[in-house]
Amino acid sequence: MKLITLTIGVFGLLALFLFGFSHESLALTITSSDQDQEIKSSQGYETLQVQEQPTQEPDKHIKKSDQEETLTEEEETVQIADPLYVWNKGMYYFNDKFYFWLLKPVSQGYSAVFPEGVRLSISNFYQNITTPIRFVNNLLQLKIKSAGNELLRFVMNTTFGVAGLGDFAKDKMDIKRHDEDLGQTFGHYGIGHGFYIVWPILGPSSLRDTTGYVGDLFLHPVSYITPIETAVGIDAHEKVNETSFHIGEYEDLKKAAIDPYISIRDAYAQHRKKKVEE
Amino acid sequence: MKKVLIGFHIIVFLILPLSLYAGVPQNTVEGHVNNVLNVLRDPAMKGDKAKKAKKEKVRSISEKMFDFNELSKRTLGMNWKSLNPDQQKEFLDLYKDILEDAYMDRIMSYSDEKVVFSKEIMLSDDTAEVQSNIITKKAEIPIYYRVILKDGEWRVYDVIIEGVSLIKNYRTQFREILANKSPEELLKVLRKKVGKA
Repeated sequence: MKLITLTIGVFGLLALFLFGFSHESLALTITSSDQDQEIKSSQGYETLQVQEQPTQEPDKHIKKSDQEETLTEEEETVQIADPLYVWNKGMYYFNDKFYFWLLKPVSQGYSAVFPEGVRLSISNFYQNITTPIRFVNNLLQLKIKSAGNELLRFVMNTTFGVAGLGDFAKDKMDIKRHDEDLGQTFGHYGIGHGFYIVWPILGPSSLRDTTGYVGDLFLHPVSYITPIETAVGIDAHEKVNETSFHIGEYEDLKKAAIDPYISIRDAYAQHRKKKVEE
Repeated sequence: MKKVLIGFHIIVFLILPLSLYAGVPQNTVEGHVNNVLNVLRDPAMKGDKAKKAKKEKVRSISEKMFDFNELSKRTLGMNWKSLNPDQQKEFLDLYKDILEDAYMDRIMSYSDEKVVFSKEIMLSDDTAEVQSNIITKKAEIPIYYRVILKDGEWRVYDVIIEGVSLIKNYRTQFREILANKSPEELLKVLRKKVGKA
């Protein structure tokens, strides 16, 4: 009986300690979703230091796992067929030059003239007028709530957001955009990419996503603008405005890649897979 | 009395492993990320001279944060075995250099975007995914860290940015190279890439 009392005592203490510990990490997890990051971080790190103590020899670490462990792999890669390799590679070089010789300098000049706030408003405006695409594709995927949110966003941003220049719905009501396009809708119903295809200026795509893109154009207000030169001009402006936020990213990607063409193709396949799954 | 005791023991044993690791993967990653951010935000370190010191600090944090061995192994996947131990070691070093070359400048150009950690998901007993968002004025960029537990420590073996897994992206590239070249030739390509040819 004494033994039992003793075990209760020991376990009781242990449990109390552990509860306290788990409670603390729980509190940390909760605060971490808060906006303010700084305060909690120092506290979080203290808990961590305790964990980090035991392993101080990285070299030993490497050797051990080399010899003893079997390979733990996540072998699945996202595959995309590339029968148009020769065309695609040609277009990849074309787009590369197009970016460095034209798009990038123009976008840089553009962002030197227009401050970030203005460019952000323009970006919001372009996003707002493509609401029909997102609304319809959310509906087609039976994402009723998201479709409703898109509609609400359109109403709010067009009125309180002043013709869509501001993102009132996101900033004040925390309703975020739900990106869906016809390519994703096809994917949602199990249709695969078909094959990879790189378009001049438009960039990486696939048979499925190109078909979707063309379909979505029917819901794109700019498609109905005549003459066609004006529509093209608007599209070009949108492209420049968008690029002005992303200067340096393509350069980084190229720098990181061993084979930039393959890296971009794989990134496209992975990114679209995630978009379809969302 | 005895029944209560048994129940109590069972509860304690059930709670034990859970409590030890609850929230630890996220706290670990978050701690490292915050350390990096603190280095970058440090007002005492400005100018070109301090930049070098900053890089050095970021480098030492990343050594603690990442499991480069696991990262290399998972990147090569099946092909890892086709490298002999010396080649594996060299591959690991070169790969690390490439990643550093690619991402150090990007990290150094960080300008006060907010980083928010949202949650962690256990993938298996010893792997987890820690999810975070970088919030810029333009958009939110989801960045997920895959971590693995070894010797009581969680370390990053993959970073997934907007759905694009770092190791999968490199795996596709390396696989294409190794499809018609030997491991030695792959190393040659990598040496050239980091300027050690």
